[in-house]
Amino acid sequence: MDVGSQVTVLYNSPHQIPLGLLIAQYFYLTGLSAGSFVISVVAILGRKVEYKPLGKIGAILAPLCLILAPMNLLSDMAQPLRFWHLMTYLPGYINFKSPITYGVILLTAYPISATIYAYFVLTGNMKWSKVFAIIGIPLAISVHGYTGFILALGKGRALWNTALMPTLFIVSAMVSGIAMMILIAIVRNMFFMKDKTVEEREKDRQLILGLGKFLGGAIIADLFLLFNDILVLLTSSKEAWETAHLLLWGKFAFEFIGVELFFGSIIPLFLVFYPKTAKTFKWLSIASVLVMIGIYAMRFTVVVGGQSVPLH
Amino acid sequence: MAKEEEKRKIRYAMLVDLRRCVGCQSCSVACKSENEVPLSKFRTWVKIIEKGRYPDVSRQFLPALCNNCENPICNRNCPVHATYIRPDGIVMVNMHRCIGCMYCMASCPYDVRYVNPLRKIVQKCFWCAHRVDAGLLPACVETCLGRALIFGDINDPNSEISQVLATNAVVRLKPELGTDPHVFYIAADADAMDPTKGIDIDKIRFMEPY
Ligand code: SF4
Ligand code: SF4
Repeated sequence: MDVGSQVTVLYNSPHQIPLGLLIAQYFYLTGLSAGSFVISVVAILGRKVEYKPLGKIGAILAPLCLILAPMNLLSDMAQPLRFWHLMTYLPGYINFKSPITYGVILLTAYPISATIYAYFVLTGNMKWSKVFAIIGIPLAISVHGYTGFILALGKGRALWNTALMPTLFIVSAMVSGIAMMILIAIVRNMFFMKDKTVEEREKDRQLILGLGKFLGGAIIADLFLLFNDILVLLTSSKEAWETAHLLLWGKFAFEFIGVELFFGSIIPLFLVFYPKTAKTFKWLSIASVLVMIGIYAMRFTVVVGGQSVPLH
Repeated sequence: MAKEEEKRKIRYAMLVDLRRCVGCQSCSVACKSENEVPLSKFRTWVKIIEKGRYPDVSRQFLPALCNNCENPICNRNCPVHATYIRPDGIVMVNMHRCIGCMYCMASCPYDVRYVNPLRKIVQKCFWCAHRVDAGLLPACVETCLGRALIFGDINDPNSEISQVLATNAVVRLKPELGTDPHVFYIAADADAMDPTKGIDIDKIRFMEPY
């Protein structure tokens, strides 16, 4: 007889979920910012002139999202007025081993460099925008990569404590960033290019449809990483198995399987690669909206789902 | 880690002898009153499970508290050094520095920290360091009616805890995570030590931090 099946917990102290939706939202916004920054830089550094409008869109979106992101952090803190404790940058006062400290340094440097970059891109100063593009790329990647470390170093949680986490976060940042760029670019093409010639608008259209293919590639990379993660969770420790259970057929199955995988990845993947739907703005924008919702669900399942396995 | 421990002149530790524990929750109550722990928050508590099928049944207890780890992940992850380690190994939270980011709570593998809803800072068991400094025992140890809790310096071979540790089989919670916890258990039950046993993981309710 399996004794384990007959255990009843009579008394225990409450289980807690310390990091909630606000933190998930913070990760989401930094992801959007990093993703759109990278796309913008690729467009600026590339030789083709027709990519330049994308560069501008990304350059505006990146600092914008990053101004909103830390607001979530501030309102999540129990002592928001003590935020300056983080910003003394003095050894002995802040802990350089903590991923939050990496974050504070990056959250100071990256918005500044992204704003300068946006200024040069919008004023058309190509030389300096290239310089700041090159400075900004490692910052943008690490500003989102470090959020992966925040989770990866939370070693009590099976879903978080994996070396895959920073990479997974960077790739999903690309996915959501591209999706947001596509949406804005479509709006621009449809409503703000009325004064342009037909050829110009058509060129812009092809460009946006090309971004759709990028989106598809990023989704495939994201799915591959998720697959690796889940496969290892299913065969690792008991907590890991319980986490996989929560995601695959337990409490978070709707968010993970339904919203994140099916509506947020599989359907958009089909829409951007199926020849009939890949050529219309209507389906491309639907795919992008689904992707953005899917990545939001991903941040939620990782942050809240990861903490939903009891620890005592 | 081990080196660090040998360097300490004093290294406090706690030993829970479950052969002597009756599950009366006196330690939880003593802690609540000594440290003014707010409602619905606990620095120490006794987890109680029931197992088996009649007539082969038993009730098992597991007093839980902060392990005051030698290599605490809460300390490593605290961005502002609000969490720090005393020379005698006790892990403390500086209430004037804590910004309430709750990262330590998310990192701790034992879920023993909480946010004080009135002071809006993170608190946890620190083995009543204020009492220890005054030469007293932690409140839970003082009150334990079965003398199941033993507190003392494991670097002193003549202390009671060193002698009991040396002559008994002891286990710790989640040693595989490398935090090097310093709460030792004698005769702890495997089912009580397993957080996922005896509950429906899809149905348990979680509490907001504050
Ligand atoms: S039990 Fe948790 S809170 Fe206590 S020292 Fe260890 S890691 Fe930190
Ligand atoms: S909540 Fe306080 S003690 Fe915990 S990591 Fe943040 S600042 Fe440090």
